[in-house]
Amino acid sequence: MIAFIFRRLLTLIPLLLGITMLVFILMSLAPGDFLTPVKAQRDVPAELIQAIEIEFGLDQPWYVQYYKWLGNVLQGNLGHSWAYKLPVADLIGQRIWATFLLSISAFVFSWGIAIPLGVLAAVYKDSIFDRISAALAYAALSIPEFFLALVLVFFAAQTGWFPLGGATSIDYDYLSFGGKIVDRGYHLILPTLALGIGSIASIMRIMRANFLDTIRAGFVTTARAKGVRERVVMFKHVLRNAINPLVSAFGFAFSGLLSGALMVEIVMQYPGLGQLMYQSILREDQFVVLAAVMLGCSMLVFGNLLADILLAWSDPRIRVENKK
Amino acid sequence: MPCRLYQRTCLCPSIVSFAIVVFLLVGCGESKTRLRPEPVVQPVPLDALVVDFPVGEFGANIIETVPGDIATVNPLVNESVAGSVVIGRILDSLITLHPESGEVIPNLAKSWEISEDNLRYTFFLREGVHWSDGHPFTAEDVVFTWQAFFAKKFDPETGEVLADENGRPLYRYNSRSTFGQQINGQEPIVEMIDDYTVRFTTPEVYAPFLLFGGGEEILPKHILKSAFDDGTLMDQWSVETAINEPWKIVGLNMFVLESYRPGERMVFVRNPNYWKVNPDGARLPYVDRVITKIVQDVNSSNVAFAQGLTDFESIAPDNVAWVKRGEERFDYTILDMGPSNATNFIWFNLNPGQDSEGKPYVEPYKFEWFSDKRFRQAVSYGINREGIIRGVYFNRADILNGYVSPKRKFWYNDQIRKYSFEPEKSRALFIEMGFEYRDDQLLDAAGRRVEFTLMTNSNNGLRVEMATVFKENMAALGIEVELQFLDFNTIITKTSDSFAYESCMLGLGGGAPDPYAGKDILMSGGRMHFWNPQQPEPATEWEAQVDQLMREVGRHTDVEKRKEYFDEVQAILAEQQPFIFLVSPKDYVGYRNRWQNLEPTSLGGVTWNTESLWAEPNE
Repeated sequence: MIAFIFRRLLTLIPLLLGITMLVFILMSLAPGDFLTPVKAQRDVPAELIQAIEIEFGLDQPWYVQYYKWLGNVLQGNLGHSWAYKLPVADLIGQRIWATFLLSISAFVFSWGIAIPLGVLAAVYKDSIFDRISAALAYAALSIPEFFLALVLVFFAAQTGWFPLGGATSIDYDYLSFGGKIVDRGYHLILPTLALGIGSIASIMRIMRANFLDTIRAGFVTTARAKGVRERVVMFKHVLRNAINPLVSAFGFAFSGLLSGALMVEIVMQYPGLGQLMYQSILREDQFVVLAAVMLGCSMLVFGNLLADILLAWSDPRIRVENKK
Repeated sequence: MPCRLYQRTCLCPSIVSFAIVVFLLVGCGESKTRLRPEPVVQPVPLDALVVDFPVGEFGANIIETVPGDIATVNPLVNESVAGSVVIGRILDSLITLHPESGEVIPNLAKSWEISEDNLRYTFFLREGVHWSDGHPFTAEDVVFTWQAFFAKKFDPETGEVLADENGRPLYRYNSRSTFGQQINGQEPIVEMIDDYTVRFTTPEVYAPFLLFGGGEEILPKHILKSAFDDGTLMDQWSVETAINEPWKIVGLNMFVLESYRPGERMVFVRNPNYWKVNPDGARLPYVDRVITKIVQDVNSSNVAFAQGLTDFESIAPDNVAWVKRGEERFDYTILDMGPSNATNFIWFNLNPGQDSEGKPYVEPYKFEWFSDKRFRQAVSYGINREGIIRGVYFNRADILNGYVSPKRKFWYNDQIRKYSFEPEKSRALFIEMGFEYRDDQLLDAAGRRVEFTLMTNSNNGLRVEMATVFKENMAALGIEVELQFLDFNTIITKTSDSFAYESCMLGLGGGAPDPYAGKDILMSGGRMHFWNPQQPEPATEWEAQVDQLMREVGRHTDVEKRKEYFDEVQAILAEQQPFIFLVSPKDYVGYRNRWQNLEPTSLGGVTWNTESLWAEPNE
């Protein structure tokens, strides 16, 4: 098992190298650089631009810049943000919690609703409930996240029931600890909906299909014939068999934990990592973009790894095969 | 069917676990709030400025929005508008501008003297003024600020100043002021005479020094000296400081930062040691806090105001119509402040050079058209500016005849050549150049179809519409214009590096209210001499003439003389039309009617006297 994990982590190295190099090439191909907007301002002396170009190494070709950056990264230094004059790690640290909170809440919301609904839809197959949930699922799947976010912002603006963006209220700093939690939760409702509804639909459909497949399996009939209680059949036998594909899907969901909320964060003005990434890409604040890309990529690898481990845990058959 | 069994799969577990997650993360996400020191409140300064507005009531809060987040609070690093707004609220300068006339008036300096030879500027500082943390403000702070601009890099072994290949010294902190405050490549000298007197000596007579030098925001020596010494000055006052230790950002202006949440909001609280008082001798400002919400862009900012959520707002001309609809319902007022100093213009690429492959930037025959002033004049006569104002701006703009917007009343020259919409004159000029019309198409002397491309940035809707009007106007003259709507960065790269374009439409706004601030645009060696930048020698006679006149504008201290020279610059530009000016949008400001002591001016807007604004404390 440890060798397996180790091997998986090793693949991360060429992956990160390739992806960061690609980002460097793309950013050097994109018109302009970090200093272009500065050049468009009227009272910036030419000498300043020259001096900063040299300071940031922007006067050198991309491979020289890449080489230098790589040297720094190997020493554990992700670089300084040009715009913020802060170590990139600190900058990401400032924002990561807000995004993490949103992603987790959307995750809990969507999975917590989708799995029971999927099971219900399978058990009551072809009932009116199944049909309505199928129709709603298709509708939810066809609405893009950002559009849903826009609709929700409009809804909040029209009714005034929910805050218009942000993660905290103006008086947040003066609230008690309990009050802070309520305030955070209140601000999370709409972004969570926007982010979660799409995945509810897809997870629910996957769950339903798997459950139906498993219900028809021979061992279920056997179990029922043995007189095992229906509840045990469903939860112990069917559910644990049906949930395997969702465990792999969980790995992907994990990889999107920090980068998946980008669209929703931008539309709903939620102050997380996504906003920072987006701003940095627009500004061509190179090292922040690179760090964000590396983070997303590592999360993907870790997510898949986690899914494999979970799968082995939930399904003894995989463990047995590995031992052979 | 075993339905009973599944009714237990309720949402409770997910809600409970969700609550736990929120609970945990609220704890994690909290900034490590360190103990905020109590500010030391010093007595009202000896030289406090008594502001002559009726006495008001203390305690109201201002709520406003700012488009875009800040990246830093360090004035040496900042490049964003949002950053300038925040810094300008905390830091202050020796002089300021009169909100009505635009004259230089005392601020932290109560007065100044300029020597006979116009080289020495002696500023007398207000006595007894303190920084927001209670530390005294003296001439040492002024000297420190200027030392920070011009500190050199030293060789650690020999102790000599390091220099680049051109022999220019290398600076420790490359800030905008490091180069912007140099006068023809030389640094002004700063000396401290006593605690409240500081003297600047300029290397040559330099008229805008009072405005440019005096307008520099003063940094606190007692806070930043150690960072200056260990080389981390540029990393100070970052957003990290703003989040965790906002009280370290001390200032002399009316507010200090109380808290900052990136992407969300900043809260400013009144500076307890501010140096302006009301007629009763009570320390200003009346306002307790300013709550600034960070929003995506100008439009969302305007929306927030239109819903009665914010107190003051400057409104984009194309948003005025719908924002006005809420005036009664939300009890606010929108004022037309007249012309803004934003300008829009078109220019032709007059760069005679060639790229690295030996290909000329502009096709030689087209270059011949563009560099003939009659061609540019003819194009200018052919533009229906009135039509742009009506169709694009819905009458919320003014015709722009020359380089100076009519907003700058003093420097504006009304006696220049003007180009009204007269297509017959355009046609006559083309015929004079030897061009001819065949089937309503304009052909040049060699029989080539007159056509060119015009690029402008795609993210500016108004400019895209103006370009479309321009295309139609040119089509009426028999000229085919191909429009290219490009990304802003691409345009800047083309106009400043690759020069591969034929004509371009852009705009400029802001800038210091001294004509010499335009030297990089107007002088032929300038970086923003858009039509042919950074020329080693002026390419044409009239550019040489403009260079000469601009040097005089910089050199003379007599305002009337300067105006005379600058009037002539404007006249030459109008005659030559290197920039074909279009329109200048109007300024609109909005305010909630609850505010008292408002006295909006065209230069200062509504908030120039924020310290005197008050309202019934509410909420």
